Amino acid sequence: MLTVEHLSLTYEDGTVGLENVSFSLTQGETCALIGANGAGKTSLMMALVGIADFRGRIVAGGVESEKQNLPLLRQRVGLVFQNPDDQLFMPTIFQDVAFGLQNMGLPDDEVRRRTEGTLERLGILHLKDRSSLRLSGGEKRMAALATVLAMEPEVVLLDEPTAFLDPKARRRLIGVLKGLEQTMLVATHDLPFALEVCKRSIVLTEGRAFADGLSEELLFDEEKMDQGGVEAIRRYG
Amino acid sequence: MGNIRQNTAALYTLEQLAEGDTAIHGLHPMAKLLGTLFYMVMLISFPRYRLGMLAPFVFYPVLMLSLGEIPFKLVGKRVLVALPFCLFAGLSNALLDRSPMVFVGGVGFSGGVISCLSILLKTLLCVSVVLVLVAVTPMRALTASLRRLHVPGVFVSLFEMTYRYVGCLMEEVSSMSAAYALRGKPRLEMRHMGAFAGQLLLRSYDRAERIYHAMKCRGFGGSMIGETAGKMSAGDWFFLLAVSLSSALFRFVDIPALLGGVLC
Repeated sequence: MLTVEHLSLTYEDGTVGLENVSFSLTQGETCALIGANGAGKTSLMMALVGIADFRGRIVAGGVESEKQNLPLLRQRVGLVFQNPDDQLFMPTIFQDVAFGLQNMGLPDDEVRRRTEGTLERLGILHLKDRSSLRLSGGEKRMAALATVLAMEPEVVLLDEPTAFLDPKARRRLIGVLKGLEQTMLVATHDLPFALEVCKRSIVLTEGRAFADGLSEELLFDEEKMDQGGVEAIRRYG
Repeated sequence: MGNIRQNTAALYTLEQLAEGDTAIHGLHPMAKLLGTLFYMVMLISFPRYRLGMLAPFVFYPVLMLSLGEIPFKLVGKRVLVALPFCLFAGLSNALLDRSPMVFVGGVGFSGGVISCLSILLKTLLCVSVVLVLVAVTPMRALTASLRRLHVPGVFVSLFEMTYRYVGCLMEEVSSMSAAYALRGKPRLEMRHMGAFAGQLLLRSYDRAERIYHAMKCRGFGGSMIGETAGKMSAGDWFFLLAVSLSSALFRFVDIPALLGGVLC
């Protein structure tokens, strides 16, 4: 479903963002992208949706990431940004969710049906006429997720989805994400969240894929996680 | 800071009202846009000393507000923002042209005062009809209509983007002002203004870039796609015709004088 081969990315100032990263995810697979600040998680997310220039090969939902394919690729791969305020820019939540669907060229009644259906599924239909400026952090996160899920992408990318969330909102998000059937790649520092939502984890260090394995093993491996610059989940008792 | 945050939220309140379902909201966006434009042209073309003839023009915004169920206060507050600008423009007339022109109850009013009041009324009416238009028509439908009228796409896109980014800029001002006030004085000092403005520019540029990325991720290809409004119905044509004819009537026939003649 998602194949990344020899992906490298260098910023204009010469900083290496990613170096020779390769991995693939199968249909419906959930994978956490773990790494310290600056490890390259967000850069990888941006490359996967064709926002950042890269070297290497990315194929998502059968679409190769090339300039002429980007509109189609962005229908197949949806990215939920770290800060929901960056994703919600229309006057109402309804218009925000409908934005992507209208750009897909769907007829108005289909746009309405999908928008309201997604909002209802996420339990925020009552917010549809509200402005994002007046929502709580948890509501904004759900609305940002709705903007992507409404487009029915095959791969969902989430960048730090638990940032700005209180425990209750975080719990609700976990419930929603566990119910999704899409292939998911989640960049996060929140290891207990990664453990709960993702079966697999990849540790990024200085732009390289340092470790790859089952979350229930890798996230508890203190030695490996320490080498990767991340604090492992501690086992008690 | 609270005020800035409130103002940011209030900025798009009018547009949220555009989702209403009154008969006015249901009219074709093109009919409302052309009607408003025609009204404004008729209004602006008025001779500056014919203040009395302007009175009937008040009906259109008032009628639209009532039928569109838009709170008068909401539009009224925003119209007042334009007041200092038009007052400034009109005051020069009042100062330069002092010869008495009209006497009301023995008090003489100069041509300058009359033209100042005329400028004031025209500007406030123009601003109010534009605000009413925004309050009863979704912004996307308006910009789609502008495109259909062959207004260059680059201008329409610029308008859309500027409108959206004003909110971002105000949010950045709000959070920067909060951070400043919490570590210093409640009001921004002159010596810090340069650094503040520079940081604001960089931060809002960065924010705008992230928003643009989010838009691209959801298929944005350079222009907002509006709801397809379809063709104008007979009702839409009737509305357009009624607004245009009444505006032309108010412009070329002295209705107040006519009514005065009939009543006397």
